[in-house]
Amino acid sequence: MGSSVKKAIELILSADPELLNILSTTARVCLTSSIFALLLGVPVGILYGAERFPGRRILLVLNRTLIGMPPVVCGLLFYMLFSGVGPFRHLHWLFTVKLMILAQVVLITPIIIGVMETFVADTAPALRETARGLGFSRLKEYRLLINECLYSIFSAYLLSFARAIAEVGAVAMVGGAIAWKTNVMTTAIMMYTNRGSFTLGIALGLILLSLSMLVNIILSVMQGRLSR
Amino acid sequence: MKTTALTKTYRKRVVLSLPELDLPAGEITAVIGPNGSGKSTFARILAGIETSDENKPILDHISVGYHPQKSFPFRMSTEKNILQNGRDPLRASELMKALGIETLAGQNAKKLSGGETARMALCRILMKRYELLILDEPTAAMDMESTLAAEELIRKTCTESGCSVLFITHSIQQARRIAGRIIVLHNGKLVEQGDADLVLSSPQQAQTKRFLEFYGI
Repeated sequence: MGSSVKKAIELILSADPELLNILSTTARVCLTSSIFALLLGVPVGILYGAERFPGRRILLVLNRTLIGMPPVVCGLLFYMLFSGVGPFRHLHWLFTVKLMILAQVVLITPIIIGVMETFVADTAPALRETARGLGFSRLKEYRLLINECLYSIFSAYLLSFARAIAEVGAVAMVGGAIAWKTNVMTTAIMMYTNRGSFTLGIALGLILLSLSMLVNIILSVMQGRLSR
Repeated sequence: MKTTALTKTYRKRVVLSLPELDLPAGEITAVIGPNGSGKSTFARILAGIETSDENKPILDHISVGYHPQKSFPFRMSTEKNILQNGRDPLRASELMKALGIETLAGQNAKKLSGGETARMALCRILMKRYELLILDEPTAAMDMESTLAAEELIRKTCTESGCSVLFITHSIQQARRIAGRIIVLHNGKLVEQGDADLVLSSPQQAQTKRFLEFYGI
């Protein structure tokens, strides 16, 4: 175990090309999917939290269901849609980074919607009463609401990024974990562990843990700054 | 100015039923009554935050400023909060000075104490000139010194701008200090209205007498 960890650290420090390829694929998939999810999830979450409209409760239940959706179910769904017998087979997206990104967007957008909805539903009534009392326009009211949400938007993003980077089921199914093409950190850890090659697996595990710690450090720093 | 008659029903229970009421310009009208008498509901309907059962405007085409019981501090400095409601930094500075919060101008409004937030919120609503200013217990979180300064500032604003002020309070002493007119509510109904001194010194209705006796007046 000790020698494997030592070898893993040496592998990270030597900038192994395969390791770098896995890291760059992971970064591409996770950053793109989390940014798309943020762009979709923040407005929808604010809308669900701030407005009351028919069908809102049903949409919230649906969103909570999607938050708890097992990633392999999501992977299976996209596999069926894009495989040789699926309706989108002509796009040839199966086992590509594009489909991995799409599957992750579907998995993490509900998390962002949920975080935003909870915060906005709690904040909006008091803010709105004050803003309307002062005679502010709807636009100004929303600008102030978004200003209140900055920390929540930031933490929702980091939360979704953390989920995306740790996700394995869906990306393994739709990406196929093809070396030098669709292999990301989590699928690579599985692959190398199955092969009995623990060194690269441990190296990737250490990087994943470090990234998770980094996300938490950034969150703590931002929380401190935004509350000043 | 005059409000139209209004009714408000919650879950098939009438919680407010009021006739037309006078809100003279340049004068402070205090609304008093025990908890649950409908004071805040009346204020929220007048401000357009809630609708009455009639679902039509209570006041015709006038600008209304409303200070809720718990005014929300926006996530920015105290001064920027105040300047959200007007762009005159000099006026903002005057108001902050009058309420003793000028040293807190650059401080994050989220970090103010309850009393400081109340003073900031009062400065913010007083930045703009409204034809009707509705203040729902604006001094509830303030100490006596700040309360007296706030009352003085409200009186001055009312006199200078000629606006009507509807001042909601559960303190009869405060109503006596600040208001020229008084509206007494009980169980969502108008009990008595008129000149503040007259209503408080010789109330005509039994409910007003009981309410005043309760406060030792």
